[in-house]
Amino acid sequence: MTSKAPVISCKGLTYTYPGTTEPALNGIDLEVERGEIVLITGPTGAGKTTLCSTFNGLVPHFYGGRMEGEVKVLGQDVREASAGYLSTKAGMLFQDPSSQLISATVEDEVAFGPENLGIPVEEIAQRTNSVLNYMELNGLRERPPFALSGGQQQAVGLASVIAMKPEILVLDEPTSNLDPIGTINIFALLRKISREEENTIIIVEHKLQELVDIADRIVMIEDGKIRLEGPPREILAEDAVLLYERGLQPPQVSLLAHKLKAAGIPIEKVPLTVSESLEVFSKPLRALKEPIVELREKESEPQQITSQPIIEVENVSFQYPGGVVAVRDVTAKFYKEDFVGIIGQNGSGKTTLVKLLNGLLKPTQGIVKVFGLDSRESPIHDLIRYVGYVFQDPDSQLFSKTVHQELSFGLKNLRVPRDQWESRINSVAKMLLIDSLLKEAPYSLSRGDRQRVAIASVLVMEPQVVVVDEPTTGQDPRKRREIMELMKVLHDKHGKTIIFITHDMDLVAEYAKRCIVMKDGGVVLDGSPHEVFLHYDELEKTHLKPPMITLLFKELGARYNLRKDILTVDEALGYLKSKLVS
Amino acid sequence: MAFEYIQGQSLMHKLDPRTKVLFFLLVTVLIMVVYDPIIMLGLLGVIVLMYRLSGIPLSKLWGITKALLPVFIMFLVLNYFVIPPRGATVYFYLLPGIAPVTIETTLVGITSAFRFVLFIWLSRLLTFTTSISEILIAMVKMKSPPEIATSLGIAFSSVPLMINQFSTVIQAQKSRGSQIEVKNPIKKGISFIPVVVPGIYLTILRGMNVARTVEARAFTYNPKKRTFRKKIQFGHEDYVFLTISGLFTVAIVAIRMLYGWFDYTFILRDVLKLV
Repeated sequence: MTSKAPVISCKGLTYTYPGTTEPALNGIDLEVERGEIVLITGPTGAGKTTLCSTFNGLVPHFYGGRMEGEVKVLGQDVREASAGYLSTKAGMLFQDPSSQLISATVEDEVAFGPENLGIPVEEIAQRTNSVLNYMELNGLRERPPFALSGGQQQAVGLASVIAMKPEILVLDEPTSNLDPIGTINIFALLRKISREEENTIIIVEHKLQELVDIADRIVMIEDGKIRLEGPPREILAEDAVLLYERGLQPPQVSLLAHKLKAAGIPIEKVPLTVSESLEVFSKPLRALKEPIVELREKESEPQQITSQPIIEVENVSFQYPGGVVAVRDVTAKFYKEDFVGIIGQNGSGKTTLVKLLNGLLKPTQGIVKVFGLDSRESPIHDLIRYVGYVFQDPDSQLFSKTVHQELSFGLKNLRVPRDQWESRINSVAKMLLIDSLLKEAPYSLSRGDRQRVAIASVLVMEPQVVVVDEPTTGQDPRKRREIMELMKVLHDKHGKTIIFITHDMDLVAEYAKRCIVMKDGGVVLDGSPHEVFLHYDELEKTHLKPPMITLLFKELGARYNLRKDILTVDEALGYLKSKLVS
Repeated sequence: MAFEYIQGQSLMHKLDPRTKVLFFLLVTVLIMVVYDPIIMLGLLGVIVLMYRLSGIPLSKLWGITKALLPVFIMFLVLNYFVIPPRGATVYFYLLPGIAPVTIETTLVGITSAFRFVLFIWLSRLLTFTTSISEILIAMVKMKSPPEIATSLGIAFSSVPLMINQFSTVIQAQKSRGSQIEVKNPIKKGISFIPVVVPGIYLTILRGMNVARTVEARAFTYNPKKRTFRKKIQFGHEDYVFLTISGLFTVAIVAIRMLYGWFDYTFILRDVLKLV
């Protein structure tokens, strides 16, 4: 049956959540054909998730609110069909993986949807088996989903949607918890599914460069409206700068091409991948009369370390009570001047390592010395005066009636004299731009502001070291940069030592002065990002990938004797300009 | 955890959950007609044996029992306050003039305390050997709506996740200097507020997320026709097990009613002629 009718069609779709006045979606017109892969992107709060939720009827049936215009899924008006029925047609994977796992084992989880569809037991078994095999989850079959890593949970969530065999797959940031190689694998899988099963796939993503040749169309949403729409190659090539300005992440090489053009360097076309950009950038480089002789590999200033280490981790291993060894024989020193990014595959021991630094966990072997204190002998109460730890999710700590009270919590606990409270709270609140919110209730704030409050509530205790665990997960690129800019201010202006964990290689490249790569509980690389990101093969073994721009210069460098350790677009721009303009 | 399941291949594991429910009812009847503490002790021994045969480490049993000790003592002591001496020899009074200590009240106290322990041991034995999904299917088979069974299942499987979330909250507050391990009970209560408030928030959030997920996985599509993958079936061993325990219980009840055996002092007075 090859009907030409669109699988999804929205006409003048406007939707307002209950209790709000501003519409989350404002006049959306969109048609999706059978078998299409549509990439929906846009800044946080643009309405991407809301739009997706109309396809399976959660909007308006589950959330309520006011809906105008029309959404038809497979010809059915979503207002007239039940959410239960629509869910059999449009399977939706939600953003936060752990929030959607509801069963006791991975197998039960994957079978839950098919059971609801009333499919015979034998067929459920067969579907479950094939999906688990397909997604390489067979080894986890009997494990409880809650005990898996974020990346594995995301894969299980996706498996449980695929097992229902819906005609339309709606995936809200399906790779937010995955490392770079895991991300590529999932996208390849989606392409395979769409080709073999003729599924229609809607993906909400910020990772645009990985989807250039997978998506058929990009739809960029902003303020509940469609701002840009078209084939990925066109949109990314023409509007890379606009996307970047809107806080999104177009391919770095496209951005570089635009910036070189603006600087007066002739660039024929805007490339989207590393191999394309090799050709594009080779032209002006070849046109140079003299070959470039560039011997220096490292321009970046090696970090000036003058002081003694403030935290010393010596041959430390940590084993959880269940028997899992999360950190294996790690030795590392941290200095006052450090701005360290810790990267590594899911489950490589990053979080366990940083929890050892403020005494939340005590080493089962070896010694952690924090400002001279042995962490095994010192209560956590004493260690947190030196090492502040900001948890990923602000909701797991905020509890007070006002932001002001929230900030005084740590001060009270550390018995800081009351006359110092106001000045400390005010100065930290100013630093984090939340001084106007001190009287507000933390729970009424936006996610970004809540995160700032959580960071502030640690900073008032005036620790020298600030540890932030995945501060950027689930945020759009602009929000991620805002947080990292904040860390930079804390480091540059206030002399704080920063240790952060992230999956975002671009952020490490741009902000970290030092980069620690972990694998299977051990440290495999430790050095400046300029050094670390040149270890392409070792990184790949740990499921990581250097920034796209670094991969470009790996190739360009080999051909034209250029530096290879280029980590950011601006660095590349300055470097190429210096070579090409003179 | 209150619903921990320990995998195994023992008879207790293999029995149909409905058999176990019936067995539980039979034992309840049994311990209601048996008053003799020494026989009760023997029954406790049987339960311990069943733990062994089911492959459940006795350390688990000790863990439960330790928690029960205060209640055990409470049962023992409270009995002196509520049971009149009925002319029996009063050895002494717990408090001046009240709570007389006689052989009878002591034996009654011991029996009711044993009864209580047996009740808990047995119910834990059944939950150790029955997975949640079996219980839920049994519920559906016993005509409870599939919505209720499924919601209960989700609630149970959310427990470990919630424990994880709570431990993250505790770690986050410890990182802000909160001292949760204080001894003073009032201070301890206050120090739990920073844990409980985010905990409640996260629990509500979890509830909403689960509701949304269940909807998106087509649970409301047609719940009556829902497939339950796991099947439970009455087998040979179920009939044998139920017949034996049923006959045993009926026999005990009959003897009790006809001959008045198994009273508090049955073994001590009537069998051993000690008192």
